[in-house]
Amino acid sequence: MSFFLGVVSSGVATGAAFALVATGFVVIHRVTRVVNFAQGVFSVVAGMLCAALLTLGLPHFLAEVVAILAAIAAGFGVGLVAIGRRGTPPLASLIITLGVGVLSYAVVILLWGDGPVSFSMLQGQVDVGGVTMLWQYVLIVAATAVTFGALMLFFNLTYVGKALTACYSNPHAARLVGIDVRRMGLLAFAIGGGLGGLAGVLLTPLQPVEFDSDVSIAINGFAAAIFGGLLRPGTALVGGLVLGVAEALVSGYSRYASLQSGVALVLILGIMVYQAGRRPEGAE
Amino acid sequence: MRLGFWLGLAAAVGSLLLPLLLYDAELTIYVFIGLSIIVVAGLNLLYGFAGQVSLGQGAFYAIGAYCAGILARRGIPPLAALLLAPVLTAAVAVVVGLPVLRLRGHYLAFATLAFQLIVLSIAGQFRELTGGDTGLTGIPDLTVAGVGFPLERRAFGYAYLTWVLTALALLLVHNLVASRPGRGLRALATSEAAARGSGVPVGRYKLQVFALAAAFAGLAGGVYAFFLSYIAPGSFPILLSIQFLVMSAVGGVAVVWGPVLGAVLIYILAQVLQTIGSQPGMPLHAPAELNYAVYGLVLILIMLLLPEGIVPALRSAVASGRLRSPGGAAPGMAAGPGGAPVPPPARRQ
Repeated sequence: MSFFLGVVSSGVATGAAFALVATGFVVIHRVTRVVNFAQGVFSVVAGMLCAALLTLGLPHFLAEVVAILAAIAAGFGVGLVAIGRRGTPPLASLIITLGVGVLSYAVVILLWGDGPVSFSMLQGQVDVGGVTMLWQYVLIVAATAVTFGALMLFFNLTYVGKALTACYSNPHAARLVGIDVRRMGLLAFAIGGGLGGLAGVLLTPLQPVEFDSDVSIAINGFAAAIFGGLLRPGTALVGGLVLGVAEALVSGYSRYASLQSGVALVLILGIMVYQAGRRPEGAE
Repeated sequence: MRLGFWLGLAAAVGSLLLPLLLYDAELTIYVFIGLSIIVVAGLNLLYGFAGQVSLGQGAFYAIGAYCAGILARRGIPPLAALLLAPVLTAAVAVVVGLPVLRLRGHYLAFATLAFQLIVLSIAGQFRELTGGDTGLTGIPDLTVAGVGFPLERRAFGYAYLTWVLTALALLLVHNLVASRPGRGLRALATSEAAARGSGVPVGRYKLQVFALAAAFAGLAGGVYAFFLSYIAPGSFPILLSIQFLVMSAVGGVAVVWGPVLGAVLIYILAQVLQTIGSQPGMPLHAPAELNYAVYGLVLILIMLLLPEGIVPALRSAVASGRLRSPGGAAPGMAAGPGGAPVPPPARRQ
């Protein structure tokens, strides 16, 4: 039983991080209608940069913050390339973000080499109702909870957050009332970058990152995000947790631990099949 | 139109004579370029007409290669195995495409990416069938009724086989586009709703184009398996799918010239990068790094500057040139060698 709970707790922690990546997808897609293929890149860049800063002697909290800020800047940069030019259709933007992802491999290898990178996690563990959990797990869950709370407040209470939602529900009307849709799109990319960066900083101590880890991070995040049809952050959170726990159970109990990554892939296709059955053909 | 015809004839004759001048190593590149053209011709249909981006053409290439390799090793005549490869690949595509194509374009890119990862992981797991991660070795050479290519002219034989298949593929696409379903597809590319309103079976056409594109990739994969006589999951990385996409984007959705120009340019670029990257004194990961950098940059720049690709851009340049010269053709005549004006790929939503 305690093994089971241990597996579940590790699944919840990684699932929470997936949910952060997923929310990055959702925020960007809601505002710009672009599925950002470079979403996993933010996590890789933040994880690698954080490890490099720690090696340089920066204290722990500061290194993470700098790495996340860099990921926000990266998000803004990707947005500038992908939607900065007026009239770029979403399909072209998608291919551009794919190009950015491939380009990032070269940059990451140039800066930090092509080997796996990691750094030390929060030491020690804590006993919660008979389950021993690593502090790192607690940290991930807490950080995710705080982030989701902040996002909810931001989207529901602030003017800018409401403007972002307006761009999603009707871009033309949003433009009519004076909202700069393009600027909101760039803001969404920056937020997406920050969320990806946060996930990267939290996950890297558990799973070392390589230059091409972005594919698996993005696949997991995307699988979580399409739970809510790429539109609702709340369902993305649920999706992330379900996915994380399912993967942890597969790797904990199955003889084929390598099947773990298959869970997200099968989930993606499965959810799509389900959604295709529910929605009329070609519906938004 | 006449210019396009002569250009096409020149390219066909030129590429037919070219293998006579090439050494074995160069013939290998010739074969690979031809196979890429076949894959990209299929991808172009999907991208240009259905407005769908597939990152899984590498997966269909792999399925075709594994089908041909496995069947041939189990005693099926190699030619039959090669012909079965596209058929089986198209069948897989129908099963995958049936649900996924019903969703909007952005989903297909991720779904096909996921699909390729699943295919690679299956190929790596089922050791008895696929040889696992070490791969499938000893695929017999291609023979017709027991007669194969003579060993010393083997690459030469595959070069001409590839030429024939490439020509057939391009011819098929050319005729398809000019046919009634082709007109339906062109209507579909501009507006799905309008096409449906005019009686075009949108869902069925999209699925058929998806399956046809997969069949092209499967056929090319089958030739690949026989030509190299060895395949492994590592032969079909995600980067391969991205390479096909780059070729497609660079060439543009022009029916015949897009895939040809895109594949030739990108393949030669890849060879140049390989040569630069493996110069003495370059770090070990330099070739891969250069490839990533250039593919990424090319993809970004072509999408920003020439989103319709090189061939359509050249065509409109030629057309506007003719318009200025007295007695020239009107810009509407810019259909070019494909004989069919192809709408831009991107559907605005």
